Amino acid sequence: MAIENTGKKLVLLLAVAVPLLLPLLVSNNYYLHVINLAGIYTLIAIGLNLLSGYTGQVSMGQAGFFALGTYVAGLLAINLGIPFWAASLAAIAACALCGAAIAIPAMRLSGPYLVLATVGFGEIIRLILLNWTPVTRGAAGLTAIPLPKFFGWQCSSEAQFYYLIFSFVLLGTYVAYRLAHSKVGRTFAAIREDELAAEAMGVRVNRYKSAAFVLSAIYAGMAGALYGAFSGVASPDNFTFDDSVAFLCMSVIGGSRTIVGALIGSFMLTGMSEALRALQTYRLILYGGILIFTVIYMPQGLAGLAATVRARLRRTAGRSAAASTGGEGKA
Amino acid sequence: MQYLLNGLPIGAIYALVALSYSLIYTASGVLNWSQGDMVMLGAYLGFAFFHFLHFGFTLALLGAMLLVGAIGILVQLCILRPLRKRQAPPINVVIATLGVAIVTRNLALAIWGPEAQIFPSPVSSAPLAIGALSVTRQDLLIVAVAILLMIVLHYLLRKTRKGKALRAVAQDRYAAVLMGVDTEKSDALAFAASAALGAAAGILVAPVFFVTFNMGAGIGLKGFVAAVIGGLGNIPAAIAGGFFLGIVESVAGGQISSGYRDAITFALLILVLWLRPSGLFLRKVRQRV
Repeated sequence: MAIENTGKKLVLLLAVAVPLLLPLLVSNNYYLHVINLAGIYTLIAIGLNLLSGYTGQVSMGQAGFFALGTYVAGLLAINLGIPFWAASLAAIAACALCGAAIAIPAMRLSGPYLVLATVGFGEIIRLILLNWTPVTRGAAGLTAIPLPKFFGWQCSSEAQFYYLIFSFVLLGTYVAYRLAHSKVGRTFAAIREDELAAEAMGVRVNRYKSAAFVLSAIYAGMAGALYGAFSGVASPDNFTFDDSVAFLCMSVIGGSRTIVGALIGSFMLTGMSEALRALQTYRLILYGGILIFTVIYMPQGLAGLAATVRARLRRTAGRSAAASTGGEGKA
Repeated sequence: MQYLLNGLPIGAIYALVALSYSLIYTASGVLNWSQGDMVMLGAYLGFAFFHFLHFGFTLALLGAMLLVGAIGILVQLCILRPLRKRQAPPINVVIATLGVAIVTRNLALAIWGPEAQIFPSPVSSAPLAIGALSVTRQDLLIVAVAILLMIVLHYLLRKTRKGKALRAVAQDRYAAVLMGVDTEKSDALAFAASAALGAAAGILVAPVFFVTFNMGAGIGLKGFVAAVIGGLGNIPAAIAGGFFLGIVESVAGGQISSGYRDAITFALLILVLWLRPSGLFLRKVRQRV
């Protein structure tokens, strides 16, 4: 028992220390860049998990919210010189509004209809960004998005961005975790399992379904604001249908019914996508193959797989413990 | 009026693709995102038959349909069947078919390269004039072949034993099993027929657009939109949705703005989904979700 406790403490210590000290351990800026990108995608994936994994509303248009967040925050910062925190708040507000708006048709839909409606939403946003040239600068996109500044301290290096993104991921994970393990999370799951039954139990289904949409939009919007400041440039090409699909894959591959799954999925897929870069044309063939393999053989994603393995280990451990006590009893 | 007419051939293409989505969805309840890439494969294989083997147009069309149909069966066998066996959630099925699309598209890129291939039209390029309107012979060919294929499909589904089995599974999967229908076989048939329809759409559209590895993405999405606007799960509704979408696009692109054409299409889609989730051309509201 004591050993197990120490082990747990050690794991917890590592879980806190490694992310905190990561920029010191990883001296390569390229790796840090990929980690930062994965952190931004984690936020989107957490939102998607709340929306799709918990509430059962599949969205293939998250790139739309992500784009909106990037453009609102980016344009405010470029054109009006608004500081990062205020621009982020504006981006979040815009995304929340948009999420509430798309929830109106979405709450009547499910299955392929909902999927297509969200695809449509993502494409509409992208096409507006592409064609509304006087405001969005068209295909050229945004350039020279200012770096975030806090009380005179400017965030510019990969390591500094790492801490900025890391704090948002931490905050986002915490909020989502608390939400998922509260009455709200259980209501989301009830709606996913049986909407009619939930309604019969007095759950205001539509309200919760819209809330899930707004939440996922807020997460994607914050990710967008960070992305714009982090990369400095953004164009409509960064927010295509393929990106929406990639976000959904992160959520499902990681395990959409847990919060930690979002973290696993985004780091897995972002890392894999970078690691396979050397294969060039064959990269995406392999990537697609891995997607297919994962959804067939790990239906609950990597987080689900970890839970199954842990349960199996515990069962074997329990059995051997029972066997040893049984042996003692006989002796 | 000219815009209306221009919308017909692309509408016929969308109708074929919409039909392929609708057929799979009705028969097996699967939303198959690789449908657009079957269109692309059809165009490439048709191109290969036409260019390297010097097949005639009809032979190239049939050959491509047959081969892509076989690929459809392969997808059902290797991907859908294991997913069904594990009772995977629908979202996993969607991602698996997206995976198929990614693999197919990039395989085509690896094999044929990024350049667009030019597929010569089997008919002369001189346009025909009907009064004040003009149409190209290729457009006429597209519409004619598409309608012919729809009639053939209709006949197969209504009159043949396998077609009837497929419709029975579509109506009530469980009851069909009890009646001794092999649902796996009917799923395979649906996948084959859908892929073949997509391939036909690919060959027909190839002389109008160029043949590229990612041509399937746009056509596939539009075909799906057409199927839903018309009414998913109903064959005449999918066809009507296809022609409707083709005409709307042509008019919106010509009269309003070419840049916003697709945005208008998607806005229309969301509006239809909001007001009439069962589609424009389906009277009965059937819960199939």
